[in-house]
Amino acid sequence: MMKWRDRTRPQPQRAKSSPGRRRGTGPSARRRMVLVVGVLGLISLGLVARAFDLQVVRKQFYQKQGDARFLREVPIPVSRGTIFDRNGEPLAVSTPVTSIWANPAELLANSDRIPALAKALGGDPQQIEQYLEQRSDREFVYLRRQMPPEAAQAVLDLDIPGVNGQREFKRFYPSGEVTAHILGVTNIDDHGQEGLELAYDDWLAGKPGSKRVIRDGKGHVVAELEQVRAPKPGQNLTLSIDRGIQFLAYHELKNTLDKYSAASGSMVVMDVHTGEILAMASLPTYNPNALAGSKPVQRRNRAATDVVEPGSTMKAFTLAAALSSGKYTPTSPAIETGNGHWFFYGHDIHDDDPNGTLTPTGVLTRSSNVGAAKIAMTLDTSLMYDTYRAFGFGNSTGSGFPGESSGLLRVGRDWRPLEKAIMAYGYGLNVTPLQLANAYATIADGGVMHTPTFIKGDDSPGRQIISPQVAHELVSMLETVTGPNSTGANARIANYSVAGKTGTSHQAIAGGYSKDTYNSLFAGIVPASNPQLVAVVVVNGTTKGGYFGGTVSAPVFSAVMGGAVRLLDIPPDNIGRWYVGGPLQGNGGLVGSQTPPPQPSANDVPVHEAPVDEAPAEGNAP
Amino acid sequence: MFGLGASQAVKRQGPRGSFDPWLLVALVGLASVGLVMVTSSSIAVADSGNMGAFYYLKKDLLFLSLGALAAGVAMRTELKLLEKNAFPLLALAFALLLAVFVPHFGMRLNGARRWLNLGVTSFQPVEAVKLILVVYMASYLVRRRDSIETEFLGLIKPLMVAGILVVLLLLQPDFGSAMLVITVTIGMVWLGGARPVYLCGMGLPLMPLLYMAATGESYRMKRLTSFMNPWEHPFTDGFQLTQSLMAIGRGEWTGVGLGSSVLKLSYLPEAHTDFIFAVIGEELGLVGIVLVMGLFALAVGRGLAMGLKGVEVGQRFAGYVAFGISLMLAMQAIVSVGVNLGALPTKGLTLPLISYGGSSMALTCAMAGVLLRATWEINRALDARQMAKRMPEAVAAVDANDTARPREAVAA
Repeated sequence: MMKWRDRTRPQPQRAKSSPGRRRGTGPSARRRMVLVVGVLGLISLGLVARAFDLQVVRKQFYQKQGDARFLREVPIPVSRGTIFDRNGEPLAVSTPVTSIWANPAELLANSDRIPALAKALGGDPQQIEQYLEQRSDREFVYLRRQMPPEAAQAVLDLDIPGVNGQREFKRFYPSGEVTAHILGVTNIDDHGQEGLELAYDDWLAGKPGSKRVIRDGKGHVVAELEQVRAPKPGQNLTLSIDRGIQFLAYHELKNTLDKYSAASGSMVVMDVHTGEILAMASLPTYNPNALAGSKPVQRRNRAATDVVEPGSTMKAFTLAAALSSGKYTPTSPAIETGNGHWFFYGHDIHDDDPNGTLTPTGVLTRSSNVGAAKIAMTLDTSLMYDTYRAFGFGNSTGSGFPGESSGLLRVGRDWRPLEKAIMAYGYGLNVTPLQLANAYATIADGGVMHTPTFIKGDDSPGRQIISPQVAHELVSMLETVTGPNSTGANARIANYSVAGKTGTSHQAIAGGYSKDTYNSLFAGIVPASNPQLVAVVVVNGTTKGGYFGGTVSAPVFSAVMGGAVRLLDIPPDNIGRWYVGGPLQGNGGLVGSQTPPPQPSANDVPVHEAPVDEAPAEGNAP
Repeated sequence: MFGLGASQAVKRQGPRGSFDPWLLVALVGLASVGLVMVTSSSIAVADSGNMGAFYYLKKDLLFLSLGALAAGVAMRTELKLLEKNAFPLLALAFALLLAVFVPHFGMRLNGARRWLNLGVTSFQPVEAVKLILVVYMASYLVRRRDSIETEFLGLIKPLMVAGILVVLLLLQPDFGSAMLVITVTIGMVWLGGARPVYLCGMGLPLMPLLYMAATGESYRMKRLTSFMNPWEHPFTDGFQLTQSLMAIGRGEWTGVGLGSSVLKLSYLPEAHTDFIFAVIGEELGLVGIVLVMGLFALAVGRGLAMGLKGVEVGQRFAGYVAFGISLMLAMQAIVSVGVNLGALPTKGLTLPLISYGGSSMALTCAMAGVLLRATWEINRALDARQMAKRMPEAVAAVDANDTARPREAVAA
């Protein structure tokens, strides 16, 4: 505590010891100090000036350089619109997923964490490291796309430097393979690649917004500055498809394919008044939620993209031309089919059974190739061609389905007589099941053709292509096909009258027609009395149990449409009697009462009274 | 003893010292700014290292406490003790600088041997060497005042010592600290009264040495020139500097706001140590830069002014120590700021009292403590001179080694 005294005591002595020196030092030290302070002051001023230059004068340059490094425009992801069926059931939904990405350099700098990362990702550590090293000059590589959010969160929770998550959306199809062909698929960037996902991509996809953000040196977003472009979410799409009918169609078609060991098949169900497609099934199919491993042959929507020779189902349109020509009515003139063989230009046009003399209706009922060919040969070629053409053959239906085929119909003036004859019963031209369904829907809707559509309520104004009277006559004639013992008896639906036509065609193979593989078709209208629905069933290449359209495809029609009319609350033909006598169990389901009365059921086919069960008698008439 | 009679008038015991208040304000202000800015600028690096956002704040507080302790000790220690032990301290400085070359004891980081491994922590000897150099130079200037002022040879010895230190620093290599040692030595010798002619004579042979040191290794030459045009190689040689310039440029007048710097987020390397000034420039703008430089100017200005008073009042050692420490603070701040602003070649020098760094923080605090002690002793000498003028008998009594003089009681 007393130390200071030691210090202060010698002071006066020293001051005295060299007074001259002291006096000289004072001003000298001050002068020297002025120089030191001056130098330091000037340097400081220079530094402040430099700071002023950086921060005020030339700030734009530095800020621009800075912005170039950490300002980024990043997209604001939007979810794709949901696709609903006509009843609001979701068919395609976007679910949030997380993609894991990495900054290779940053992750490699923490390579000790890679094994933990690989474990969480479910990969091989060395592979990941190699993958990263090959891309070490990049700032962004995906490690795994579209992980389930929980699994991705587990990866992110490891908190490994350089590993980040990015939110995305993945398409999920609740009804899987049942609707696979209609909906198609999206790619990993959420853009439609096939089917309606492709056709309506612009509508569904929306527009991702973008925002300006500040990223830190490791790529994390630390601040969001502004929205550059507002995100436009994808819009929902409500299809005309009825999920219930679609499932029925898929299910029945699949069973039939299994039962007959058939190679493929397709079915189209349409609403006759609007052209809305209620169901469209194709087999073989694939799982759109797990695309890996699916083959192109499974991915094709056969109902729209594949063509088939329509066989006898074409006779309805031959008859449409015949009735339109005015030379024929449903009952006259009589057509002589003889013993079922007609040698024409060296070709044996033949029926399965000899039918003798047939009415035009009988030609349909008995499905006589000879009759159809003979009728065709009496018709003007251009009338026949124009009629086929008017029904949409050889033209895309305009449904808008990607990759829809237009089929093949040669120009009428090039037709040789034999071609014309065989075209009458469905050879020498190609149609898609969708085209055939649309053509039958035209007959069913009184000759008014609608553009088929997959969108609910997309009700295009129809075009009258044949006279309503011809159309109504045709429906009545087609109704005879499903009478007992007729070719289409298997297509009958309890309590509903069915009009339709079977068809069986040899499969065209390289160099001609296959002897033993067939296309089995059935095209039908229900209820015939007041047409509401049309369906076409095509089964290709059955290998056991039969191949006739009436055997293979008609039961599919019956099963599916039997369900469809109930699902859609379409009243049965004889509904008036239900209230009187009450329903009773009949063969294969509910029927009105014990036995169908002989008199025509109360239906409202306006032109031609054609009671269901009486029809075959007419067809069998000589 | 003074504290006991706080409620009563206390008798004047003799000349009393006091710490220079403005210097204290400036130093405490700088340390406070440093604490805030270290916290702000280290968040990103702490976070990316998974150490918790306030890891560096905690460690900085620890170092600052150590520094405050060292400063407190220094402030209560007679400078005479340092003056007496100048030679052993110099020996310690040489030992420390040589120790970095001892295998296992000296640590090699980023190609430079600047650290000593002390087991629990590492230590940068150059921070201690800076203080020791000032003490040695001050003691030499006091001892050999006459020869310094008149003889050329008187200059050789201190400059030789400085030269050896410089060579040892260049071997590390630590070019920035070597420059600091050279300039502070020249500054102290100049203020100590050396003739300008001699000083120039001494300075000339240093020039080729510096040039050789600068060109000796290519990376240093590159560093020396790359600061002129950092945008030529913004991703290699000019990387740090361009990031620093961008940060400062973003600051404008008042800055982007405390904590809002973007460049500190893993863009600017060493944001919390060597390049903390750039973060200050970005977050606090030109206002912040002027404030920090103003605090340094205040500290250095008060230090030099007090030193000058000390020399004039005869407290030569305290005065020279004040000169040396003030110059050391000034030069280090100028070099660090200049590097951050791209006005000087990029060097690894901390901004004293502000940058994060254990050795730097603790020993800069100790240096500040010595500086404060110097001001205290100088004020005491001034007080004694005043007392001698006003009350010669009181001084005489003090000289007579008397303890209490009731007549000279002054209100405390």
